[in-house]
Amino acid sequence: MIKFVDVVKTYPNGTQALRGINLSIRDGEFVAIIGLSGAGKSTLLRSINKMHSITSGQLFIDDVEISSIKGKDLRMLRRSIGMIFQSFNLVKRMSVFNNVMTGRVAYHPTLKTLFGLFPREDKLLALESLDTMGILDKAFQRADQLSGGQQQRVALARALTQKPKVILADEPVASLDPITTVQVMDDFARINREYGITIVANMHHVDLAVKYATRIIGIKNGEVVYDGPSSQVKDDVLVQIYGRSLKHDELLGE
Amino acid sequence: MTKFTLQNGKTIVKPFNKIWLILGIVTALVVIFSFFIKFEPRLINLSELGVIIKKMFTPKAGRTWGDYFGFINNLWEPLISTIEMSLAGTVIGSLMAVPVAILAAKNIFKSQWVYVPVRFFMNLIRTIPAMLLAVLAVYFVGIGVLSGVIAITLFTFGIMSKMLYEVIETVDMSPYEALESTGASKVQAFRYAVFPQVFPVFLSYLIYIFEINVRASAILGYVGAGGIGMIIKDNILYNYDRVGATLILMLVVILAVQFFSNYVRGKLQ
Repeated sequence: MIKFVDVVKTYPNGTQALRGINLSIRDGEFVAIIGLSGAGKSTLLRSINKMHSITSGQLFIDDVEISSIKGKDLRMLRRSIGMIFQSFNLVKRMSVFNNVMTGRVAYHPTLKTLFGLFPREDKLLALESLDTMGILDKAFQRADQLSGGQQQRVALARALTQKPKVILADEPVASLDPITTVQVMDDFARINREYGITIVANMHHVDLAVKYATRIIGIKNGEVVYDGPSSQVKDDVLVQIYGRSLKHDELLGE
Repeated sequence: MTKFTLQNGKTIVKPFNKIWLILGIVTALVVIFSFFIKFEPRLINLSELGVIIKKMFTPKAGRTWGDYFGFINNLWEPLISTIEMSLAGTVIGSLMAVPVAILAAKNIFKSQWVYVPVRFFMNLIRTIPAMLLAVLAVYFVGIGVLSGVIAITLFTFGIMSKMLYEVIETVDMSPYEALESTGASKVQAFRYAVFPQVFPVFLSYLIYIFEINVRASAILGYVGAGGIGMIIKDNILYNYDRVGATLILMLVVILAVQFFSNYVRGKLQ
């Protein structure tokens, strides 16, 4: 479970990205966070694995307060949380397999990992993850030879190889075409359903968010302005989040 | 400064580009200093040049073509020590450059208290010409291959540390962020996100610097740093034919090293 209690984040330049967030996300939920650019979506997401640390308030992951943890405890926390990025963040000139193997690095002491040797179970785990994502046949190609959608699947396989309880996705489909977008979102839904992994995703496309997530959190100016089931996201909710209703051509399709 | 006015009356000013000012100053300095250079045409003696070239590429009076190419048999040992000292110097210098280049890279060590002094030290080493390094090495450890290795090590360190930190700084840091998000330590994130991007470039530079060093180390023998340069020095005034034979051998070796270097670096892309 992820629980925010009065969480505030102020950047050194004075920008208040989060102004008193109270939320709790149960295990196995598929949550989409929507809102305008700069509303604080990314900061909210990245505070969960402490890629950004919060200024005040409390943040619990499975009843452990994380705002003060650091060092090994922090790395153990991050290990249990996968992260997906808009631009995939793969090492382009490395093979798909080696990219996925990096999901296991944090399970071993630094000295041992320097030589790039991993136990056979880890390698099998990486290959299983690639198979789950349907790209086992690409395992020994260079990552940059794959299409955008395939690269995002490699990133998902890397996250799965961490054996995470939660996957955070920061605009996971923002740089993909509409068709690939749907495929990757289907992958998220499948991972959520089959493995019970909690998904928290920042999304730009409202209709996709509503279609795939079971719960929508709307953020405006660093505050939660909507938190409820995706089935109840209607025009008046979008007015709250975006300041006006969305026109038909501002949606992705459907 | 140029001002543009659009059809609807809006105006925008393009700021003055300082590069033209700098280029202007540099050109002016070049023109001014060129007045102070005195060319002495009497030093250019084309006929003498022809004589020396002829002396180099024909056997000396009283020697045969057999003697000319036979001299190459005396060159294998110094040639091998030239290549050995280039190789040793290149490898040692390159390895020494790795930690220093990491310390000098702004994207890895963000504090200017780290990278500014490290870069100053690097620049200091790089300002010393290879020839002077060799003279100093000969002064400290005596005539021979060891002083050549020391000179080439320092020379390589100077180039490699500079080139390598620039490569590290242009690396894509997004996988580093991803590695940190998996719970990897900073060292692990560097090993798995930065190292794979830098290592092929490092190898490619290492081979290229080796190629430069084979050429440079032929000269270093001149100041006593061992290798084939000593042969050239010993023969240059009285046995031009031997110098010529040595040059032919060097040419072949350097072409071979260049070919090898291009081939391997092509494979590393």
